[in-house]
Amino acid sequence: MSESIGLTARHSAPAVHAAAGRPLLELRDLDTDIALRRGTVHALDGISLDVAPGQTLGVVGESGSGKTMTALSIMGLLPSGGRVTGGQILFEGRDLRSLPADEVRRIRGVRMGMVFQDPLTSLNPTIRIGAQVAEPLRVHKRVGRAEARDRAIQILRRVGMPRPERIVDNYPHELSGGMRQRVAIAMALVCSPSLLIADEPTTALDVTTQRQILELIDDLREEFGMAVILVTHDLGVIAGRADRVAVMYAGRVVETAATEQLFHAPRHRYTEALMRALPESAIRDSGGHDRLISIPGLPPDLSGPLTGCRFAARCSYVSDECRTTDPSLIPGTHQHACLHPVPTPAGAVTGPAGAVTGPARARVEPAAEPTRVEPAAKPVTAAPAEVTELPVLSVRNLVKDYPVHGRGLLRRAAGQVSAVADVSFEVRAGETFGLVGESGCGKSTVGRLSVGLERPSAGQIVLDGTDLTDLTGRERRRMHRQVQLMFQDSYAAMNPRMRVDAILAEPLEIQKVGDSSARQARIATLLDQVGLSRRALERYPHEFSGGQLQRIGLARSLALHPRLIVGDEPVSALDVSIQAQVLNLMRDLQRELGLAYIFISHDLSVVDYMADRIGVMYLGKLVEIGPAREVVRAARHPYTQALVDAVPSITPDRVATRDGTTIRGELPSALDPPSGCRFRTRCPRAADICTTEPPLVGGLHQVACHLPLRPEPTGTPTQDQAVG
Amino acid sequence: MARYLIARLGQALIVIVLVTVIAFLILHLLPGGAARATLGKEATLAQLAAFNHEMGYDRPLIQQYGMYVQRLLQGDLGYSYQLNQSVLEAIEQRLPKTMVLSLLSTLLAVVLAIPLGVLQAIRRNRWPDYAITALSLLAYATPIFFLGLMMIIVFSQVWPILPPEAPQGFTVAELLADPAGLVLPTATLAIVTIAVYARYVRSSMIDNLNENYVRTARSKGLSERRVVLRHTLRNGLFPVITLLGMYLPALFSGALVVESLFNFPGMGQLFWQAALKRDFPILLGVTVIISIATVVGALVADLLYAAVDPRVRLRGSAT
Repeated sequence: MSESIGLTARHSAPAVHAAAGRPLLELRDLDTDIALRRGTVHALDGISLDVAPGQTLGVVGESGSGKTMTALSIMGLLPSGGRVTGGQILFEGRDLRSLPADEVRRIRGVRMGMVFQDPLTSLNPTIRIGAQVAEPLRVHKRVGRAEARDRAIQILRRVGMPRPERIVDNYPHELSGGMRQRVAIAMALVCSPSLLIADEPTTALDVTTQRQILELIDDLREEFGMAVILVTHDLGVIAGRADRVAVMYAGRVVETAATEQLFHAPRHRYTEALMRALPESAIRDSGGHDRLISIPGLPPDLSGPLTGCRFAARCSYVSDECRTTDPSLIPGTHQHACLHPVPTPAGAVTGPAGAVTGPARARVEPAAEPTRVEPAAKPVTAAPAEVTELPVLSVRNLVKDYPVHGRGLLRRAAGQVSAVADVSFEVRAGETFGLVGESGCGKSTVGRLSVGLERPSAGQIVLDGTDLTDLTGRERRRMHRQVQLMFQDSYAAMNPRMRVDAILAEPLEIQKVGDSSARQARIATLLDQVGLSRRALERYPHEFSGGQLQRIGLARSLALHPRLIVGDEPVSALDVSIQAQVLNLMRDLQRELGLAYIFISHDLSVVDYMADRIGVMYLGKLVEIGPAREVVRAARHPYTQALVDAVPSITPDRVATRDGTTIRGELPSALDPPSGCRFRTRCPRAADICTTEPPLVGGLHQVACHLPLRPEPTGTPTQDQAVG
Repeated sequence: MARYLIARLGQALIVIVLVTVIAFLILHLLPGGAARATLGKEATLAQLAAFNHEMGYDRPLIQQYGMYVQRLLQGDLGYSYQLNQSVLEAIEQRLPKTMVLSLLSTLLAVVLAIPLGVLQAIRRNRWPDYAITALSLLAYATPIFFLGLMMIIVFSQVWPILPPEAPQGFTVAELLADPAGLVLPTATLAIVTIAVYARYVRSSMIDNLNENYVRTARSKGLSERRVVLRHTLRNGLFPVITLLGMYLPALFSGALVVESLFNFPGMGQLFWQAALKRDFPILLGVTVIISIATVVGALVADLLYAAVDPRVRLRGSAT
């Protein structure tokens, strides 16, 4: 790395090692076991990695791949039962495993820093911010109280904390998630470490905040000349930030290369499959018409003995040799452990998908799992063909306010949170309407209102031409059977003491549909539809994986033959490969049953792939609505554009030109939203006119902005024609 | 904070009013009424009527309740003919002594239970944890009268180092002048409490030690000692505060047995003897006082909680 030379010059201790040509951190054949009641999980098996001073190493993998365990092993923070059983952790040339515990603790506190995933729980709730940030200084450097406070203020200012002199005296719960993550970063950096380990530092944050935090880490790395290990499940986050990438699978590093090299031409079949499972890839290759290329099955259980390549059971290029020979990393700058690597012809320049064509596609998904057999890329019928039909759901001027109560005896209303403010849209049969926005924008509330879980404060919900506001409670509930909800966390949404057959039968029993045998038949059909075997009926929710639970959740929402399913972040908790399976299933069912979806998600690329039309929400308002491809590729509202720009991408040219609109600051309180345009307080284009509220105007692609980024493309019908 | 306080005081007041209503109703649901209960089986009808008239018991119920509350507000809890003194006076004499006993045993329990619970949490599923758990369960399962008897047998008879009877002083000062006599009652009352508190501290500490912020603290290279004492202990002790308030009634029922056992001249003994002699004014007076103490205890625990946990503090003052 040429840049590391310039950086180490500024740095004292690691400079010695850098000069000697040694990496800052070397992992040599690291093995980590975790003892659980049911046996020992071999979480890491022979991990070898190098991190040079000033370098960012991205460690990417799905849940259970060992990426977090690698980070925790380095830090010596393994959970109870966890133990490094073999290998070396060489930090600045010394093996942390053979140093005395006190010495290691000091190194951990001074030379290393770690930022964790969940900023809401990673700070001590009862200690003031300043004391927490300055604690390493007080403990390791014996800095006095007053000086520690000053240093805390300095570092908080450096991580972009507004008013740090006041924040030091605050408690964590008084800050937003993004601000707390800044505090965590400040705390990790307060002793100027030479290594920062960031474990999913932005996974719990909104995309625009994610972008701010990632940029901050980048800046600080240069300024402090430190090395960064960025651990994430998100290939897009890695693509834009890391110098080198290590891909992990089932406790092993399966591929490692310079970032550009890896994303241009992955060699391991797992890396390739992972990239192709991203909705982004499907959109790039086929405009989103193709099914996603999912990886069947689940990763292996690491508590048993494993032979051969650990990906073999899920790989479409598997040969007999793969099942018996344990492939090791081939030395070099681009290392991979694959017996049948992706070839690197000249064509590889076009990207991973271009490298494998025709025959490869045909062999994808050899129907190993209960997944349905994957037919070679079949375009999904576009919904707008049935535009003439009456919309399944029509939402008009929907308003939902939540009163905020005081704590007094009488609980007088102390104000109200404007969760949804004047939102109108329609969903037609067979169509997918995507609803995107950051946390707190009201998208989930719109979902709950649409399903009838809550009643709107004002506005109409028209189902199949019937206005529900006119109906009595019982009739309304009957009508609402046509709209069902699918949850993000299906496990939490199921009674853990009910078997799957009871879970699926319950909606039928409540609605008194058919007799017992008819219900059993219906349940069997549902299971077939979502691709689960009958054996699932006798099992309990905890026995299923995340992807399978989403299938059961989908089956339950299908039980009453709904016409519309509202999916509230239905795939957000799933790994990429499993996410692809569920998204494919949702699309297949839509085609077979003519279902309409409201697909609610914070993940723009997933919504982009799934939706025919997209509505963008900000602070209770619908700010833009239009055809999906257009909203994402030719956004008219500055907020939409900021969202689009903030989405991490693996597409090389998008990574290179990451320089769009960035919004700064924090989401205003919905208790007291800004007057006029609610986005104006954070909008880079805000002008005087924005103090008046912009109406949602346009034809098919409407925007609520006085100063839209671009005019509506010509040739689209006018609003009258569109809405009818 | 002020708002929070007012709200909680309001709730406390409602509870106390309900307690007086119940106490009042019990008094009037007694077979033969208070007159029969007070004057005994041999009283003639005329005597009963005279008593009822004198006490106002022949007036409408609502009016009687009004008078009852009025007297209550003036500190008049009634008159015990059996002790030949006012209920308030009887309570005034004994309440401070019971408070001494409760405070000493609670203090002892807290001081011992916190380190025990913390030790169990940091040595979880190893022998110190198992040993303390076993002893806790044993202590918790042993009836308090049996425990007290055992203490007397062991420490006053087999190995006579402590007196089996509590000091019989008239005032608190006299009570404290004989500390040896206080040891056995205090210890007996404390042992069960230690077991309960230690279990709470243990589970709360274990929960907190598994929190992400503890991992963050470790990532700063802090010593295990600092991680436990500075980062975990405070948060781990919050449930104990609530427990302190909630445990008050249990403490009184414990005192009831312990005081009788050791002939300790406190509220428990007063209540016990009143129950044997069907001295209803005393029983009701003590009930009302204990109820008020319970409500106040819970209130103090809540306020204490709000004072030490910044998150509660915010919820109390915001909006």
